[in-house]
Amino acid sequence: MATKIINKTVTEFSLRITRCFFVPSKTIQTNATLFQERLETSITNVEEQLPTTIRPPLPIIHSRKLAFPPKFKAPRQVWVSNMDTVEEEKLGLIDLHPEVFAERPRVDIIHENVRWQQLYRHVSYANTKMRYEVRGGGKKPRQQKGSGRSRHGSIRSPIWRGGGIVHGPRSPTPYFYMLGFNTRLNGLRSTLSAKLAQDDLHIVDSLDIPTDDPSYLEKLVEERGWGPAVLFVDDNDIMPLNITAASDSYGHYNLMPVYGLNVYSMLKHHTLVLTLAAVERLEERLLFHLNRNDAASAGQKYRLDSV
Amino acid sequence: MTSLLGSMISTLGMALRYRPLIGVSSQVSKANALFNPELTTVRFRYHADKVAKGPVPRRHGYEEKLFQSGLLPRKVSVDKALPMPTYKPKNSWNEKRALFGQNDYIDILGPSNEISQKTLHPTQLLYHVPPWLRGVQGNEYQVLLRRRKFVQKKGYALGHPTKWATLNTRIKKLYTYLNHKTKSPFWKHS
Repeated sequence: MATKIINKTVTEFSLRITRCFFVPSKTIQTNATLFQERLETSITNVEEQLPTTIRPPLPIIHSRKLAFPPKFKAPRQVWVSNMDTVEEEKLGLIDLHPEVFAERPRVDIIHENVRWQQLYRHVSYANTKMRYEVRGGGKKPRQQKGSGRSRHGSIRSPIWRGGGIVHGPRSPTPYFYMLGFNTRLNGLRSTLSAKLAQDDLHIVDSLDIPTDDPSYLEKLVEERGWGPAVLFVDDNDIMPLNITAASDSYGHYNLMPVYGLNVYSMLKHHTLVLTLAAVERLEERLLFHLNRNDAASAGQKYRLDSV
Repeated sequence: MTSLLGSMISTLGMALRYRPLIGVSSQVSKANALFNPELTTVRFRYHADKVAKGPVPRRHGYEEKLFQSGLLPRKVSVDKALPMPTYKPKNSWNEKRALFGQNDYIDILGPSNEISQKTLHPTQLLYHVPPWLRGVQGNEYQVLLRRRKFVQKKGYALGHPTKWATLNTRIKKLYTYLNHKTKSPFWKHS
Protein backbone atom coordinates (compact mmCIF):
# COMPACT_ATOMS: atom_id res chain seq x y z
CA MET A 1 0.00 0.00 0.00
CA ALA A 2 1.34 3.43 -0.91
CA THR A 3 2.26 5.68 2.01
CA LYS A 4 2.65 9.43 2.19
CA ILE A 5 5.76 10.83 3.87
CA ILE A 6 5.54 14.35 5.22
CA ASN A 7 8.72 15.85 6.54
CA LYS A 8 7.74 18.69 8.82
CA THR A 9 10.91 20.71 8.34
CA VAL A 10 10.29 21.15 4.64
CA THR A 11 6.55 21.76 4.61
CA GLU A 12 7.17 25.50 4.97
CA PHE A 13 8.17 25.68 1.34
CA SER A 14 6.05 24.49 -1.56
CA LEU A 15 7.82 21.36 -2.66
CA ARG A 16 8.51 20.70 -6.29
CA ILE A 17 8.40 16.92 -5.79
CA THR A 18 5.87 14.22 -6.56
CA ARG A 19 3.59 12.52 -4.12
CA CYS A 20 5.68 10.01 -2.21
CA PHE A 21 4.48 6.56 -3.04
CA PHE A 22 7.13 4.31 -1.63
CA VAL A 23 9.20 3.96 1.46
CA PRO A 24 12.59 2.87 0.18
CA SER A 25 13.80 -0.15 2.06
CA LYS A 26 17.25 1.26 2.78
CA THR A 27 17.72 3.70 5.67
CA ILE A 28 17.67 7.32 4.55
CA GLN A 29 19.28 10.30 6.19
CA THR A 30 16.31 12.43 7.16
CA ASN A 31 16.24 16.05 6.19
CA ALA A 32 15.92 17.07 9.83
CA THR A 33 19.46 15.93 10.60
CA LEU A 34 20.76 17.46 7.39
CA PHE A 35 19.08 20.76 8.27
CA GLN A 36 20.67 20.74 11.73
CA GLU A 37 24.14 20.21 10.29
CA ARG A 38 23.66 23.00 7.82
CA LEU A 39 22.24 25.34 10.48
CA GLU A 40 25.46 25.16 12.48
CA THR A 41 27.63 26.13 9.54
CA SER A 42 25.17 28.13 7.42
CA ILE A 43 26.08 31.51 6.01
CA THR A 44 23.44 33.91 4.72
CA ASN A 45 25.42 35.84 2.06
CA VAL A 46 26.35 33.95 -1.06
CA GLU A 47 29.10 36.10 -2.54
CA GLU A 48 32.63 35.30 -1.38
CA GLN A 49 31.51 34.09 2.03
CA LEU A 50 30.89 30.44 1.25
CA PRO A 51 33.12 28.14 3.21
CA THR A 52 35.91 26.80 1.03
CA THR A 53 35.13 23.12 0.73
CA ILE A 54 37.99 21.09 2.00
CA ARG A 55 38.28 17.89 0.07
CA PRO A 56 40.60 14.95 0.13
CA PRO A 57 42.92 14.79 -2.89
CA LEU A 58 40.98 14.23 -6.09
CA PRO A 59 39.79 11.95 -7.61
CA ILE A 60 37.40 10.94 -4.84
CA ILE A 61 35.26 8.68 -6.96
CA HIS A 62 37.43 6.11 -8.62
CA SER A 63 35.34 3.50 -10.30
CA ARG A 64 31.94 1.94 -10.53
CA LYS A 65 31.04 -1.69 -10.92
CA LEU A 66 28.61 -2.32 -13.76
CA ALA A 67 25.88 -4.89 -13.34
CA PHE A 68 25.50 -7.27 -16.29
CA PRO A 69 28.96 -6.37 -17.64
CA PRO A 70 28.76 -5.41 -21.30
CA LYS A 71 30.32 -7.90 -23.65
CA PHE A 72 30.44 -6.19 -27.01
CA LYS A 73 30.22 -2.50 -26.22
CA ALA A 74 32.64 -0.33 -24.34
CA PRO A 75 31.32 1.49 -21.27
CA ARG A 76 30.94 5.25 -21.59
CA GLN A 77 32.94 7.37 -19.19
CA VAL A 78 31.61 10.55 -17.64
CA TRP A 79 32.93 13.07 -15.15
CA VAL A 80 31.32 13.35 -11.75
CA SER A 81 30.93 16.98 -10.71
CA ASN A 82 30.07 18.67 -7.45
CA MET A 83 27.27 20.99 -6.42
CA ASP A 84 29.11 22.57 -3.44
CA THR A 85 30.66 25.37 -5.45
CA VAL A 86 29.54 27.48 -8.37
CA GLU A 87 32.66 26.53 -10.32
CA GLU A 88 32.72 22.97 -11.49
CA GLU A 89 35.08 20.60 -9.71
CA LYS A 90 35.51 17.18 -11.20
CA LEU A 91 35.44 14.65 -8.42
CA GLY A 92 36.17 11.61 -10.55
CA LEU A 93 35.39 9.52 -13.58
CA ILE A 94 32.83 6.74 -13.72
CA ASP A 95 31.60 4.18 -16.22
CA LEU A 96 28.09 4.15 -17.58
CA HIS A 97 26.52 1.01 -18.95
CA PRO A 98 26.35 1.16 -22.77
CA GLU A 99 23.09 -0.80 -22.91
CA VAL A 100 21.42 2.10 -21.08
CA PHE A 101 23.41 5.16 -22.09
CA ALA A 102 24.94 4.22 -25.43
CA GLU A 103 22.10 2.79 -27.44
CA ARG A 104 21.66 4.10 -30.94
CA PRO A 105 18.90 6.69 -30.40
CA ARG A 106 15.76 5.66 -32.26
CA VAL A 107 13.96 8.89 -33.07
CA ASP A 108 10.81 7.06 -34.12
CA ILE A 109 10.58 5.30 -30.77
CA ILE A 110 11.17 8.58 -28.95
CA HIS A 111 8.38 10.14 -31.00
CA GLU A 112 6.04 7.24 -30.20
CA ASN A 113 6.76 7.66 -26.51
CA VAL A 114 6.13 11.40 -26.53
CA ARG A 115 2.89 10.93 -28.45
CA TRP A 116 1.77 8.23 -26.02
CA GLN A 117 2.51 10.40 -23.00
CA GLN A 118 0.50 13.26 -24.46
CA LEU A 119 -2.45 11.18 -25.57
CA TYR A 120 -3.02 8.33 -23.12
CA ARG A 121 -4.30 10.60 -20.36
CA HIS A 122 -6.37 12.79 -22.70
CA VAL A 123 -10.15 12.67 -22.50
CA SER A 124 -12.23 14.85 -24.78
CA TYR A 125 -15.33 16.23 -23.10
CA ALA A 126 -16.67 17.86 -26.26
CA ASN A 127 -20.30 16.96 -26.77
CA THR A 128 -23.04 17.64 -29.26
CA LYS A 129 -26.69 16.72 -28.94
CA MET A 130 -28.43 14.31 -31.29
CA ARG A 131 -31.79 15.15 -32.77
CA TYR A 132 -33.66 13.31 -30.03
CA GLU A 133 -31.60 15.00 -27.28
CA VAL A 134 -32.20 18.58 -28.42
CA ARG A 135 -35.10 20.16 -26.59
CA GLY A 136 -38.33 20.08 -28.58
CA GLY A 137 -38.89 18.67 -32.01
CA GLY A 138 -41.50 16.03 -31.20
CA LYS A 139 -44.29 17.55 -33.25
CA LYS A 140 -44.54 17.62 -37.01
CA PRO A 141 -44.08 21.35 -37.93
CA ARG A 142 -46.78 21.40 -40.61
CA GLN A 143 -48.96 18.95 -42.42
CA GLN A 144 -47.35 16.82 -45.07
CA LYS A 145 -49.29 18.19 -48.02
CA GLY A 146 -51.07 21.36 -48.98
CA SER A 147 -48.90 24.21 -47.63
CA GLY A 148 -46.64 24.38 -50.68
CA ARG A 149 -43.58 24.30 -48.45
CA SER A 150 -41.09 21.51 -47.98
CA ARG A 151 -42.05 18.56 -45.86
CA HIS A 152 -40.56 18.02 -42.39
CA GLY A 153 -41.07 15.72 -39.47
CA SER A 154 -39.26 17.59 -36.70
CA ILE A 155 -37.73 21.01 -36.13
CA ARG A 156 -34.63 19.36 -34.59
CA SER A 157 -33.69 17.26 -37.57
CA PRO A 158 -30.03 17.74 -38.62
CA ILE A 159 -30.92 19.76 -41.69
CA TRP A 160 -32.58 22.42 -39.51
CA ARG A 161 -30.82 25.31 -37.87
CA GLY A 162 -30.61 24.49 -34.17
CA GLY A 163 -31.14 20.85 -34.92
CA GLY A 164 -29.17 17.89 -33.71
CA ILE A 165 -25.70 17.00 -34.95
CA VAL A 166 -25.45 13.60 -36.56
CA HIS A 167 -21.85 12.40 -36.16
CA GLY A 168 -20.53 15.00 -33.78
CA PRO A 169 -18.25 14.52 -30.76
CA ARG A 170 -19.77 12.48 -27.95
CA SER A 171 -18.52 13.13 -24.46
CA PRO A 172 -16.43 11.64 -22.92
CA THR A 173 -14.12 10.27 -25.58
CA PRO A 174 -11.04 8.59 -24.15
CA TYR A 175 -7.83 8.53 -26.16
CA PHE A 176 -6.20 5.98 -23.90
CA TYR A 177 -3.91 3.33 -25.29
CA MET A 178 -0.96 1.55 -23.80
CA LEU A 179 2.36 1.51 -25.57
CA GLY A 180 4.25 -1.75 -25.42
CA PHE A 181 6.47 -2.32 -22.44
CA ASN A 182 9.60 -2.68 -24.54
CA THR A 183 8.76 0.34 -26.66
CA ARG A 184 8.63 2.45 -23.52
CA LEU A 185 11.77 0.82 -22.16
CA ASN A 186 13.62 1.50 -25.39
CA GLY A 187 12.25 5.04 -25.42
CA LEU A 188 13.96 5.66 -22.09
CA ARG A 189 17.20 4.10 -23.34
CA SER A 190 17.15 6.10 -26.57
CA THR A 191 16.48 9.39 -24.80
CA LEU A 192 19.18 8.82 -22.20
CA SER A 193 21.64 7.89 -24.93
CA ALA A 194 20.72 10.95 -26.96
CA LYS A 195 21.14 13.17 -23.92
CA LEU A 196 24.59 11.76 -23.21
CA ALA A 197 25.66 11.94 -26.83
CA GLN A 198 24.60 15.58 -27.08
CA ASP A 199 26.43 16.61 -23.88
CA ASP A 200 23.17 17.31 -22.09
CA LEU A 201 23.71 14.72 -19.37
CA HIS A 202 25.74 15.52 -16.24
CA ILE A 203 26.48 13.44 -13.17
CA VAL A 204 26.86 14.98 -9.71
CA ASP A 205 27.70 13.34 -6.42
CA SER A 206 24.60 14.65 -4.64
CA LEU A 207 22.14 17.53 -4.73
CA ASP A 208 23.36 19.15 -1.50
CA ILE A 209 24.03 22.85 -2.02
CA PRO A 210 25.42 25.18 0.65
CA THR A 211 22.65 27.79 0.61
CA ASP A 212 18.98 28.04 -0.23
CA ASP A 213 19.52 31.23 -2.20
CA PRO A 214 17.98 30.91 -5.65
CA SER A 215 20.74 33.01 -7.22
CA TYR A 216 23.34 30.41 -6.20
CA LEU A 217 21.62 27.82 -8.31
CA GLU A 218 21.24 30.22 -11.21
CA LYS A 219 24.92 31.18 -11.10
CA LEU A 220 25.93 27.54 -10.92
CA VAL A 221 23.87 26.62 -13.96
CA GLU A 222 25.06 29.66 -15.95
CA GLU A 223 28.72 29.07 -15.02
CA ARG A 224 28.70 25.48 -16.16
CA GLY A 225 26.78 26.16 -19.37
CA TRP A 226 23.95 23.87 -18.42
CA GLY A 227 20.88 24.63 -20.53
CA PRO A 228 18.19 27.15 -19.66
CA ALA A 229 16.05 24.36 -18.22
CA VAL A 230 17.58 21.73 -15.95
CA LEU A 231 16.06 18.56 -14.57
CA PHE A 232 17.71 17.29 -11.39
CA VAL A 233 17.11 13.61 -10.73
CA ASP A 234 17.86 11.88 -7.45
CA ASP A 235 17.11 8.42 -6.15
CA ASN A 236 15.13 9.58 -3.12
CA ASP A 237 11.87 11.43 -3.60
CA ILE A 238 12.47 13.79 -0.69
CA MET A 239 15.10 16.25 -1.87
CA PRO A 240 17.50 18.25 0.29
CA LEU A 241 16.02 21.40 1.77
CA ASN A 242 18.36 23.90 0.14
CA ILE A 243 17.92 22.83 -3.45
CA THR A 244 14.17 22.52 -2.94
CA ALA A 245 13.98 26.09 -1.70
CA ALA A 246 16.37 27.42 -4.33
CA SER A 247 14.63 25.81 -7.30
CA ASP A 248 11.17 26.68 -6.03
CA SER A 249 11.32 30.19 -7.48
CA TYR A 250 12.33 28.91 -10.91
CA GLY A 251 9.88 26.98 -13.00
CA HIS A 252 12.62 25.70 -15.28
CA TYR A 253 14.71 24.05 -12.55
CA ASN A 254 12.84 20.95 -11.54
CA LEU A 255 13.53 18.09 -9.16
CA MET A 256 12.39 14.56 -9.82
CA PRO A 257 12.91 11.12 -8.31
CA VAL A 258 14.09 8.28 -10.54
CA TYR A 259 10.66 6.69 -10.73
CA GLY A 260 9.26 9.94 -12.11
CA LEU A 261 11.71 10.09 -15.01
CA ASN A 262 10.11 10.07 -18.45
CA VAL A 263 10.89 10.79 -22.09
CA TYR A 264 8.76 13.95 -22.32
CA SER A 265 10.41 15.63 -19.32
CA MET A 266 13.88 14.70 -20.54
CA LEU A 267 13.15 16.35 -23.87
CA LYS A 268 11.41 19.38 -22.35
CA HIS A 269 14.38 20.19 -20.12
CA HIS A 270 17.57 21.00 -21.97
CA THR A 271 19.92 19.45 -19.42
CA LEU A 272 19.56 16.34 -17.30
CA VAL A 273 21.54 16.17 -14.07
CA LEU A 274 21.67 12.80 -12.35
CA THR A 275 23.13 12.03 -8.96
CA LEU A 276 25.33 8.97 -8.50
CA ALA A 277 22.56 7.25 -6.57
CA ALA A 278 20.13 8.03 -9.37
CA VAL A 279 22.49 6.53 -11.96
CA GLU A 280 22.81 3.36 -9.88
CA ARG A 281 19.07 3.08 -9.48
CA LEU A 282 18.29 3.86 -13.10
CA GLU A 283 20.82 1.37 -14.46
CA GLU A 284 19.68 -1.30 -12.02
CA ARG A 285 16.04 -0.89 -13.08
CA LEU A 286 16.62 -0.79 -16.83
CA LEU A 287 19.14 -3.62 -16.84
CA PHE A 288 16.82 -5.70 -14.67
CA HIS A 289 14.07 -5.37 -17.25
CA LEU A 290 16.46 -6.04 -20.13
CA ASN A 291 17.85 -9.20 -18.53
CA ARG A 292 14.87 -10.65 -16.72
CA ASN A 293 13.87 -14.20 -17.59
CA ASP A 294 10.13 -13.57 -17.26
CA ALA A 295 10.02 -10.75 -19.78
CA ALA A 296 7.02 -12.25 -21.53
CA SER A 297 4.85 -11.74 -18.46
CA ALA A 298 5.99 -8.14 -18.12
CA GLY A 299 5.47 -7.36 -21.77
CA GLN A 300 1.89 -8.62 -21.88
CA LYS A 301 -0.81 -6.41 -23.29
CA TYR A 302 -2.53 -4.21 -20.73
CA ARG A 303 -5.99 -5.45 -19.80
CA LEU A 304 -8.62 -3.22 -18.27
CA ASP A 305 -9.23 -3.74 -14.55
CA SER A 306 -6.18 -6.01 -14.34
CA VAL A 307 -4.12 -3.55 -12.29
CA MET B 1 39.31 32.70 -88.37
CA THR B 2 38.76 35.92 -86.57
CA SER B 3 37.08 37.49 -89.55
CA LEU B 4 34.76 34.51 -89.86
CA LEU B 5 33.93 34.73 -86.15
CA GLY B 6 33.38 38.45 -86.48
CA SER B 7 31.03 37.99 -89.38
CA MET B 8 29.12 35.31 -87.43
CA ILE B 9 28.76 37.62 -84.46
CA SER B 10 27.55 40.51 -86.64
CA THR B 11 24.95 38.34 -88.33
CA LEU B 12 23.82 37.04 -84.92
CA GLY B 13 23.58 40.60 -83.67
CA MET B 14 21.46 41.59 -86.61
CA ALA B 15 19.26 38.55 -86.11
CA LEU B 16 18.74 39.28 -82.40
CA ARG B 17 17.42 42.76 -83.04
CA TYR B 18 13.63 42.92 -82.66
CA ARG B 19 12.00 43.46 -86.05
CA PRO B 20 8.48 44.88 -85.96
CA LEU B 21 6.17 44.11 -88.87
CA ILE B 22 5.20 47.72 -89.59
CA GLY B 23 4.34 48.76 -93.12
CA VAL B 24 5.27 45.41 -94.54
CA SER B 25 2.57 43.62 -96.40
CA SER B 26 4.39 41.38 -98.83
CA GLN B 27 3.95 37.61 -98.50
CA VAL B 28 7.68 37.05 -98.34
CA SER B 29 8.10 39.32 -95.34
CA LYS B 30 5.23 37.63 -93.52
CA ALA B 31 6.70 34.24 -94.24
CA ASN B 32 10.00 35.55 -93.01
CA ALA B 33 8.38 36.74 -89.81
CA LEU B 34 6.75 33.35 -89.25
CA PHE B 35 9.82 31.29 -89.87
CA ASN B 36 13.18 32.91 -90.08
CA PRO B 37 16.09 30.96 -88.67
CA GLU B 38 18.05 34.18 -88.27
CA LEU B 39 15.42 35.62 -85.90
CA THR B 40 14.87 34.49 -82.32
CA THR B 41 12.62 35.70 -79.47
CA VAL B 42 14.21 37.33 -76.47
CA ARG B 43 12.75 37.75 -72.98
CA PHE B 44 12.50 41.41 -72.08
CA ARG B 45 9.89 41.35 -69.31
CA TYR B 46 10.74 39.84 -65.98
CA HIS B 47 8.43 39.17 -63.01
CA ALA B 48 11.14 40.44 -60.67
CA ASP B 49 10.89 43.91 -62.23
CA LYS B 50 7.13 43.92 -61.73
CA VAL B 51 7.55 42.92 -58.08
CA ALA B 52 10.23 45.58 -57.62
CA LYS B 53 7.79 48.28 -58.74
CA GLY B 54 5.32 47.42 -56.00
CA PRO B 55 3.24 44.63 -54.44
CA VAL B 56 1.73 42.37 -57.06
CA PRO B 57 -2.02 42.07 -56.52
CA ARG B 58 -3.30 38.60 -55.66
CA ARG B 59 -6.74 37.02 -56.09
CA HIS B 60 -7.84 39.16 -58.95
CA GLY B 61 -11.57 39.75 -58.78
CA TYR B 62 -11.94 38.83 -55.11
CA GLU B 63 -13.67 41.39 -52.95
CA GLU B 64 -12.43 41.37 -49.32
CA LYS B 65 -15.40 41.85 -47.00
CA LEU B 66 -13.41 42.54 -43.83
CA PHE B 67 -12.25 46.01 -42.89
CA GLN B 68 -8.66 46.45 -43.97
CA SER B 69 -8.26 50.04 -42.77
CA GLY B 70 -10.06 52.72 -40.85
CA LEU B 71 -11.03 53.05 -37.20
CA LEU B 72 -11.49 50.05 -34.92
CA PRO B 73 -15.05 49.40 -33.78
CA ARG B 74 -16.09 51.85 -31.11
CA LYS B 75 -19.04 53.30 -29.28
CA VAL B 76 -19.98 56.57 -30.96
CA SER B 77 -21.09 58.22 -27.73
CA VAL B 78 -17.87 57.51 -25.85
CA ASP B 79 -15.51 57.71 -28.86
CA LYS B 80 -13.13 55.19 -27.39
CA ALA B 81 -12.10 51.97 -29.12
CA LEU B 82 -13.75 48.87 -27.70
CA PRO B 83 -11.38 47.01 -25.39
CA MET B 84 -9.49 44.04 -26.74
CA PRO B 85 -8.16 41.50 -24.29
CA THR B 86 -4.45 42.02 -23.65
CA TYR B 87 -2.33 39.18 -24.90
CA LYS B 88 -0.87 37.09 -22.09
CA PRO B 89 1.58 34.42 -23.22
CA LYS B 90 1.12 31.07 -21.57
CA ASN B 91 3.60 30.09 -18.85
CA SER B 92 5.37 27.04 -20.26
CA TRP B 93 7.02 26.41 -16.90
CA ASN B 94 4.13 26.39 -14.47
CA GLU B 95 3.93 23.36 -12.21
CA LYS B 96 1.59 21.38 -14.43
CA ARG B 97 3.51 21.95 -17.66
CA ALA B 98 7.00 21.63 -16.14
CA LEU B 99 6.25 18.26 -14.59
CA PHE B 100 4.04 16.92 -17.36
CA GLY B 101 4.55 13.22 -17.94
CA GLN B 102 6.03 12.54 -14.53
CA ASN B 103 5.51 9.00 -13.28
CA ASP B 104 4.39 7.70 -16.67
CA TYR B 105 7.15 5.08 -16.51
CA ILE B 106 6.57 4.11 -12.90
CA ASP B 107 5.95 0.48 -13.79
CA ILE B 108 9.42 0.35 -15.38
CA LEU B 109 11.39 2.58 -13.02
CA GLY B 110 9.52 1.95 -9.80
CA PRO B 111 10.49 -0.88 -7.48
CA SER B 112 9.24 -4.29 -8.49
CA ASN B 113 11.66 -6.82 -7.09
CA GLU B 114 11.46 -5.72 -3.48
CA ILE B 115 9.28 -7.97 -1.41
CA SER B 116 7.16 -5.42 0.36
CA GLN B 117 6.31 -3.25 -2.62
CA LYS B 118 4.38 -3.80 -5.79
CA THR B 119 4.77 -1.58 -8.83
CA LEU B 120 2.20 0.94 -9.75
CA HIS B 121 0.82 1.17 -13.24
CA PRO B 122 0.42 4.58 -14.94
CA THR B 123 -3.33 3.94 -15.25
CA GLN B 124 -3.54 4.03 -11.46
CA LEU B 125 -2.19 7.58 -11.52
CA LEU B 126 -4.84 9.10 -13.80
CA TYR B 127 -6.36 11.19 -11.01
CA HIS B 128 -8.00 13.70 -13.33
CA VAL B 129 -9.85 11.05 -15.33
CA PRO B 130 -13.18 9.75 -13.96
CA PRO B 131 -12.59 6.46 -12.10
CA TRP B 132 -14.72 4.42 -14.47
CA LEU B 133 -12.76 5.82 -17.47
CA ARG B 134 -9.23 5.05 -16.28
CA GLY B 135 -7.47 2.77 -18.71
CA VAL B 136 -10.56 2.49 -20.91
CA GLN B 137 -10.04 2.18 -24.64
CA GLY B 138 -13.14 1.83 -26.74
CA ASN B 139 -15.80 3.35 -28.89
CA GLU B 140 -18.82 5.28 -27.61
CA TYR B 141 -20.98 2.17 -27.16
CA GLN B 142 -18.39 0.37 -25.05
CA VAL B 143 -17.74 3.49 -22.97
CA LEU B 144 -21.45 4.01 -22.29
CA LEU B 145 -21.98 0.39 -21.27
CA ARG B 146 -19.17 0.72 -18.75
CA ARG B 147 -20.60 3.98 -17.47
CA ARG B 148 -23.99 2.39 -16.95
CA LYS B 149 -22.41 -0.52 -15.10
CA PHE B 150 -20.58 1.83 -12.72
CA VAL B 151 -23.41 4.25 -12.21
CA GLN B 152 -26.47 2.09 -11.68
CA LYS B 153 -25.27 0.80 -8.32
CA LYS B 154 -25.13 4.27 -6.81
CA GLY B 155 -28.75 5.11 -7.38
CA TYR B 156 -28.05 7.26 -10.40
CA ALA B 157 -31.56 6.63 -11.70
CA LEU B 158 -33.01 8.33 -8.64
CA GLY B 159 -30.62 11.28 -8.53
CA HIS B 160 -30.30 11.99 -12.25
CA PRO B 161 -33.43 10.63 -13.94
CA THR B 162 -33.06 12.54 -17.21
CA LYS B 163 -29.42 11.62 -17.66
CA TRP B 164 -30.18 8.00 -16.80
CA ALA B 165 -32.91 7.97 -19.42
CA THR B 166 -30.63 9.63 -22.00
CA LEU B 167 -27.89 7.09 -21.26
CA ASN B 168 -30.20 4.14 -21.75
CA THR B 169 -31.75 5.63 -24.89
CA ARG B 170 -28.34 6.23 -26.37
CA ILE B 171 -27.23 2.69 -25.63
CA LYS B 172 -30.37 1.30 -27.21
CA LYS B 173 -29.99 3.49 -30.30
CA LEU B 174 -26.34 2.56 -30.67
CA TYR B 175 -27.19 -1.12 -30.31
CA THR B 176 -29.72 -0.98 -33.13
CA TYR B 177 -27.44 1.15 -35.29
CA LEU B 178 -24.32 -0.97 -34.81
CA ASN B 179 -26.03 -4.33 -35.04
CA HIS B 180 -28.70 -3.68 -37.68
CA LYS B 181 -27.26 -0.88 -39.80
CA THR B 182 -23.52 -1.45 -39.86
CA LYS B 183 -21.41 -4.42 -40.79
CA SER B 184 -18.84 -5.98 -38.50
CA PRO B 185 -15.25 -5.12 -39.32
CA PHE B 186 -13.55 -7.32 -41.89
CA TRP B 187 -11.42 -9.02 -39.22
CA LYS B 188 -14.53 -10.28 -37.46
CA HIS B 189 -15.88 -12.14 -40.44
CA SER B 190 -14.72 -15.73 -40.23
